[in-house]
Amino acid sequence: MTLPIDPVDLARCVDCGLCLPHCPTFRATGRESASPRGRIAAMRRVQAGEPVDEAFVSYMQECVQCRGCEAACPSGVPFGRLMEQTRQALRSTRRPRPPLVRRTLEWLAYRVVLPRPGLLVALSWVLIPLRRLPGLTGRTAGLRYRAESLMERLQADDDPDVHLFTGCVMDAWQRDTHRAALRIMRASGAHPGLPGPGAGCCGALQLHAGMDFDARRLARAVMRSLPGDDPIVVCSAGCGAMLKSYGELLETDAAHRFAARVRSFAEWLEEHGGPPLRDTGRTVVVQDPCHLNHVQKVAGSVRRVLAPAYRLVDLDDDGLCCGAGGAYSLTQPELAAAMRDRTLAAIRRAGGDGAVVASANPGCAMHLAAAGVDVRHPAELLEAALGASPDAGDGDAGESEHR
Amino acid sequence: MADLAAALGPGGAREEPLELAMYGKDAGVTRGRPGAVCFPRDAAGVAGAVRIARRHGVPIVPRGSGTGLAGGATPADGALVVSTTRLNRILAVDEHERTAWVEPGVLNLDLTRAVAHLGLHYAPDPSSQQACSIGGNVATNAGGPHCLASGVTSAHVLALDVVLPDGAEVRLGGLEPDTAGYDLRGCFVGSEGTMGIATRVAVRLSPDPPAVSTLLLEFASLDAAAATVGAVIAEGIVPAALEMMDAEITRAVEDYVGAGFPRDAAAILLVELDGRPGSVAADTAAVGELGRAHGARRVRVAADEAERALLWKGRKSAFGAIARIAPDYYLHDAVVPRTRLVDVLRTVYDVADTHALTMMNVFHAGDGNLHPLIVFDASEPGIWDRVASAGDAILRACIAAGGVLSGEHGIGLEKRDHMPLIFGPDDLAAQAGLRAAFDPDGRANPGKVLPEGSRCGEIAGAPEGTWI
Ligand SMILES: Cc1cc2nc3c(=O)[nH]c(=O)nc-3n(C[C@H](O)[C@H](O)[C@H](O)COP(=O)(O)OP(=O)(O)OC[C@H]3O[C@@H](n4cnc5c(N)ncnc54)[C@H](O)[C@@H]3O)c2cc1C
Ligand code: SF4
Ligand code: SF4
Repeated sequence: MTLPIDPVDLARCVDCGLCLPHCPTFRATGRESASPRGRIAAMRRVQAGEPVDEAFVSYMQECVQCRGCEAACPSGVPFGRLMEQTRQALRSTRRPRPPLVRRTLEWLAYRVVLPRPGLLVALSWVLIPLRRLPGLTGRTAGLRYRAESLMERLQADDDPDVHLFTGCVMDAWQRDTHRAALRIMRASGAHPGLPGPGAGCCGALQLHAGMDFDARRLARAVMRSLPGDDPIVVCSAGCGAMLKSYGELLETDAAHRFAARVRSFAEWLEEHGGPPLRDTGRTVVVQDPCHLNHVQKVAGSVRRVLAPAYRLVDLDDDGLCCGAGGAYSLTQPELAAAMRDRTLAAIRRAGGDGAVVASANPGCAMHLAAAGVDVRHPAELLEAALGASPDAGDGDAGESEHR
Repeated sequence: MADLAAALGPGGAREEPLELAMYGKDAGVTRGRPGAVCFPRDAAGVAGAVRIARRHGVPIVPRGSGTGLAGGATPADGALVVSTTRLNRILAVDEHERTAWVEPGVLNLDLTRAVAHLGLHYAPDPSSQQACSIGGNVATNAGGPHCLASGVTSAHVLALDVVLPDGAEVRLGGLEPDTAGYDLRGCFVGSEGTMGIATRVAVRLSPDPPAVSTLLLEFASLDAAAATVGAVIAEGIVPAALEMMDAEITRAVEDYVGAGFPRDAAAILLVELDGRPGSVAADTAAVGELGRAHGARRVRVAADEAERALLWKGRKSAFGAIARIAPDYYLHDAVVPRTRLVDVLRTVYDVADTHALTMMNVFHAGDGNLHPLIVFDASEPGIWDRVASAGDAILRACIAAGGVLSGEHGIGLEKRDHMPLIFGPDDLAAQAGLRAAFDPDGRANPGKVLPEGSRCGEIAGAPEGTWI
């Protein structure tokens, strides 16, 4: 088997090793085979005709696709693309195939549930009692959505001049964040609308798993649900990165035009101008989700919109991935936990125990919350600083909103 | 392998062929095929692995981050690679004595960051500092732009705990300023893994300077830039860093990072001065004047920390800028007396012309450490011969001018066969004797540093792919 990747992309890597410290899986294991340089070396060997063995597959699957290496590479190796293409090839030709249980679960998640937000919300109802089961509390600790939140629909304005993309997981499990975002958008003088029918998952999880066909189908559905030319605001860093890449994914003019409309929440707020805020005097530790930082490259906007209301502290870990990585925390639990431990230590160094952490990505938020961290989306933090928030002034931003 | 797994626990040693291939090379151009790789977590683990290798008659190769450019971490065939990536703890920091004990796998920049809150830093700053390990720095005696005033790694390493090639654990040097006996610490620094494996390193930490100023000087000719370097040093000013970049590399860097470097200058100098505010201000003015007196067309002083950081980012990205231009590069590292800088540079450009190769120069001008870079495309037929022959001619020119082989990257495999150019047979035999005192069986990183035949019974031929 050869990999459907451009040899020129592969040749760009000069083996310098400068990406190594920026790779969370290398940091966690110290293994060259868990580093970008090692993975590229492995791709080269397969490209040169060596058989794909179990070792190759596991090295590729251990990659969290955070693209920290891509941002650090002086030579401009497009690692994200290399890895997506490699996974595509593995998915279409892989022998031996992964166990049936895993295939079934993947099929259910990627093809059945995620593309259908209604189904996901329904399942979430089922999960509410389940997550209290003693055996499951550890695994579901990140799922803190409220039943009432699932019941209330989000409200769109008439005559919108901007749209909020709602997606799949976030719509089910973090609808309060979207509620906060809508409130901030309105307080900023905008009239937010919501996606029309047919929109679901953005397709990022499918693309990262090598299911590019499904990803393209979902992308087209998302585009159909958000016609027009007003900005599209995305609260999830991962989905935002995906929507912004529809141009390259679909290679049509319409997709490029669509991608140009997409803004991450804080990025839009900064461009548009935000609402008046009061200084809460509180400290917030800023976590940079990889897809905001390395991929969209707009992590600075989160700091700038929060700065008037909070004292911000950065992590000293060079933006290393926390290990959430879409479905990664489920597929590679050990590595994901090791990566999270590193992030937790950085959070403690920055803000002590009980620090409030700002994260603009639902995956990171759930992964960190499952370890007991108090994580809020920037939209919620801003809502708490509007002054009219129910818990304003009681010393704990957005507490009642979140649990 | 079974012994290693028993000694180091599950995951402590690996031998999948695909993974081993990754340990076949570092950031240089040579390749070998190791027999296994292991990841000890402490000194005892290192000693255990070394003893097991010895029992099985297998050579050992320590490996830090594998950013070495001279093939130092390229294994002899069948060798056991001892990776230090899991030996990565900072063991103790003494704020008052300004020292720290660290394990060798700690990354250079991580150490500086870890002590930053104390107003301290670890001074040697190779351009690879984000990625390279303290152990690798010790073993290559690494330098960096800021080593001009403060000295290279050797000046910042006080003591070492070392596992010798026979598995014995010893301490070399000590924290006291004047340790009795031979300076074996100094001997180990720069030994590139041929005298054993460092498992703990005591380093000197330096206080952050109260004031820093960075100047960018632009010149219309290389001669003018070189003359300015001479004048600054003659004036008795010791800059913290003094770096020169030629026209080609300046343009390449500017295209890449946009550091605000002039695209049309024949050469630029980057000068950093640090110390107490008064003297920094005076030196800044003096360097500016000296530059203008020697033909600088423009002198720019960084206005703030952000501008300063940007200028250094430009300098330290030189390598990346090159990586973007051509798929392959060959980097030299030689030191020539400062007074011969201009002559040597001219020869270097001539050599490039006669071999029809593209040459760029970026280097530590303050101490005459040249890094001529040949960029090429390895897929071009016959190119390797031209590159190798040009490299050889350049090294010979440097040595003819009274220079030495390696400023900082080490000898490794790459320049091993050039050693006889500067050392006579007796010198080489003395070095081989010293090495043999540490490693009588020749199992520690065999084939590195000293050319074949400078001692009897050297094992392992050059790894495949070697072209020097
Ligand atoms: C982009 C780039 C820029 C660079 N810039 C500079 C520069 O400015 N200055 C400079 O000096 N170098 C520079 N280098 C070269 C390289 O980074 C240095 O030589 C560095 O010291 C190597 O460290 P490492 O951890 O990667 O060691 P490795 O490459 O893993 O090993 C280097 C040598 O050290 C030995 N070794 C490693 N650990 C130990 C140990 N614990 N005990 C005994 N021996 C050991 C190895 O066997 C090998 O011989 C650069 C390299 C790159 C890719
Ligand atoms: S930084 Fe880029 S060129 Fe260097 S090893 Fe990593 S991927 Fe390769
Ligand atoms: S994408 Fe992230 S995990 Fe994967 S190789 Fe790059 S830095 Fe490592």
